[in-house]
Amino acid sequence: MADKGTDPMQMWHSFLGDMEKQMNSMSTQALGSEEFSRLMGQMTGASAGAKKAFGDFMEKYLAAMNLPSRNELIDLGERLHSIEGRLNDIMSLLQRVHADVVASDAAATGAPRPPRTKRPPSQSKGKT
Amino acid sequence: MSAAAQQQSSSVADRVQLEVQRAIQRSIKGVEYFGSAAPVLGNTPKDILHSRGTMKLYHYRPVADEIYRVPILFVMATTNRGYILDMVPGLSLVEFLLKKGFDVYMLDWTAPRPEERGLKFEDYVLDFIPDCVRRVQQDSGETDVSVIGYCFGGVLSLLYASIFNDGPMRNLICFTTPIDFRQMKLFQNFSDRRYFDVDKLVDSVGNVPPELIFQSFEMLRPAARSMSQIQLWENMWNDEFVKSYRMFDRWAQDTLPLAGEYFRQTTKDLMWDNKLYEKTMTVGGRRADISRIKVPILHAVAEHDHIVPYDAAKPLIANVGSTDKEEVVLKGGHVSLVAGANAVKRLWPKLDSWLSERST
Repeated sequence: MADKGTDPMQMWHSFLGDMEKQMNSMSTQALGSEEFSRLMGQMTGASAGAKKAFGDFMEKYLAAMNLPSRNELIDLGERLHSIEGRLNDIMSLLQRVHADVVASDAAATGAPRPPRTKRPPSQSKGKT
Repeated sequence: MSAAAQQQSSSVADRVQLEVQRAIQRSIKGVEYFGSAAPVLGNTPKDILHSRGTMKLYHYRPVADEIYRVPILFVMATTNRGYILDMVPGLSLVEFLLKKGFDVYMLDWTAPRPEERGLKFEDYVLDFIPDCVRRVQQDSGETDVSVIGYCFGGVLSLLYASIFNDGPMRNLICFTTPIDFRQMKLFQNFSDRRYFDVDKLVDSVGNVPPELIFQSFEMLRPAARSMSQIQLWENMWNDEFVKSYRMFDRWAQDTLPLAGEYFRQTTKDLMWDNKLYEKTMTVGGRRADISRIKVPILHAVAEHDHIVPYDAAKPLIANVGSTDKEEVVLKGGHVSLVAGANAVKRLWPKLDSWLSERST
């Protein structure tokens, strides 16, 4: 094999590695500047504003077409979510009240669990 | 021509021949790459113990004949999927722990629904984590639970441990967990309060879209993606490299949106006011001061972490109230600390030895 100094692939890899470091370092400097921070803040704000304006427009359009808007579907989802939450609360309550039933169910349906008796290697040395 | 020059010439010829062979392999495997399905990840057998909105609690089926008494609950970062800890057999931390005799649970997240935009720290710290801990206790029959938090999952675990400092947490392990948010220089600049209107963003979009989260991570090392694609092409002949690339690339792109209110709180309380470090953090009116944490704690940090720089993670161990505490700085980056060949050699054995001594 060619040594590292003359191996063209090795030189290529070194070049790539150095380039990546330089690019990342240059970018870090640029991204760390106040100017970038201001620009990013403006862009995020503008993008969020545009999204909101478009959303408002679509809502009016869907209402005109007699179709549910995203917000209406979200409201519906929220109501379902709230029902789901209440069901979970009821299930939790039932499980707490009938812990013995849950345990016996688990024992009947689940695979047997291994015993919780394992010791760390430092304590089990010499154990046969 | 001298003997040395002849030898160098023939070695260059060998190298060229090798590169030609690799170029042919690249072309063949390149076609396979684009034609084949993505690898199946997170496939260690598990049961869903509980599911509620964005929250999922899994129990991995034990594989050892005898297990440690204290179960482990992983708390995954809210920005990414938990299968980073369970990639494929041989590269799965979960599988490793199961084989070592631990009983493993995971609190993982799915994308919050639009109606979950109002979720706050209060929901994660005072509801989701305690609910999962309670279910782990119920399922395992044990009172004690060890908690392992990765990245922001570590922040949530710390908040939980600070507030519920009288139990039932037995041990706390944090992987690359930031405490001093002033030291996350680029994130600080991205969220500069003079220019970044977090209220306008959250009020407009509800949940913060995953693209914004992904791009924020990508911007920390802008050249990395292009370079990794060049590396992928160069190593297309190498099946192991391609397999690993696809796994990590898929995971990195599988970024989750963040609940709007949670993002607002993170920005204001942590990025702007640095409340966790300043010990002024409260969640639902309850003080979350990490000096109140008394349980044994291990903090694993990565030497070359570009997301959570060491300076941001360093104050954790110094500021917790535990007497049994240890920080371990390992080679690697934010992700390679916990997953991949680097983690198999470094973090995993350390985790096993530290935790096994404290799990009986």
